[in-house]
Amino acid sequence: MELEEMQAVWADLSSQLEKQKKLTDKMIIMMTQEKYKKKWNRIAYPEILGTIICYGVAILILINIGKLDNWYTLLSGLISVVVLLILPVLSLRSIFRMRKLNIAENDYKDTLMQYAKGKKRFQSSMKLGYYLGFILMFAIMPVTTKLLNNKDLFTETTKIWPFLISIPLAVVFMIFFSKWVYKSYNRNIIEAENLIKDLEE
Amino acid sequence: MSKESVFTQIIKDNEGVIFKITTVYTDNREDQKDLYQEIVYQLWKAFDRFRGDSKISTWMYRVALNTAITRLKKEKRKGNQVGIDKVIMKQTEYYDTEFEEKLKILYSHIQGLNELEKGLMLLLLEGKKYEEIASITGLSASNVGTKISRIKSKLKSQIVKN
Repeated sequence: MELEEMQAVWADLSSQLEKQKKLTDKMIIMMTQEKYKKKWNRIAYPEILGTIICYGVAILILINIGKLDNWYTLLSGLISVVVLLILPVLSLRSIFRMRKLNIAENDYKDTLMQYAKGKKRFQSSMKLGYYLGFILMFAIMPVTTKLLNNKDLFTETTKIWPFLISIPLAVVFMIFFSKWVYKSYNRNIIEAENLIKDLEE
Repeated sequence: MSKESVFTQIIKDNEGVIFKITTVYTDNREDQKDLYQEIVYQLWKAFDRFRGDSKISTWMYRVALNTAITRLKKEKRKGNQVGIDKVIMKQTEYYDTEFEEKLKILYSHIQGLNELEKGLMLLLLEGKKYEEIASITGLSASNVGTKISRIKSKLKSQIVKN
């Protein structure tokens, strides 16, 4: 399809749409009401829920920190707390940055530039979040064993075989998964970089 | 005339334009509806600050395109999108199949462009002059010209591929 033909199809579409106007005054006013905020919340709520869970677990570990009575479970506990506190911040930060954008004042170029930068930042923080999740997976194991069963994972474990199977499996899975995540995030970051270059030309 | 009635009239006059923008920037019906509402909401929010320095259509395109872009950013967080076919099939009531097919091809070409090019292509199809495209996008008119000729060659190569 040549550009001229595309323009003709577009013009046809425009005249078709012109003929079938559907919006009423009431509908337009409705659209400007609180509904929008509800929609935005649909995106923010899962993030906020995730934050509550992460912070809840972190607080639980901190309250029971005294029960982590040797240096390695204590260290695992502290690492878990740090990761649990950082993870939600990474995700929520990008939502709040997005909210700050001034749609009415910026031109398309500025918005695209911020979009590309935001996309790059978001992908990088997701990547970081992924690696932190990997660390958390291992760090939280001795902590939960201690807090839930009052057992030291390293000295009081009688059966080793479940760990011999599950840990290598988890590691292999995480390695393959991380490679896949890295690839897809990288592709997005490169796209965003290209867009920034294109706009700066 | 009250502020509300001026605003609703502007939206009614331009509902087709908003519809076309939402079709270019979304790939399923629900997102399209959401984006439509979001654009109207953002236009309402921005309406107070519109001083008439630019044409109303320039202002409208700018706000609508900016909203679509910021929306894209949110959508990247989701995933699992439905293909564009589902949108086009239902978009107006009076389509004949031949026209629908042509429209599908047109949208598939637009979908092959990046975010910046999509906006430029949309404005070009809307019949905007380079100067107006420049004032909507914030690019210089010469830059708009360069980018549009790049889009044209990209489209040509897409056509050759198909």
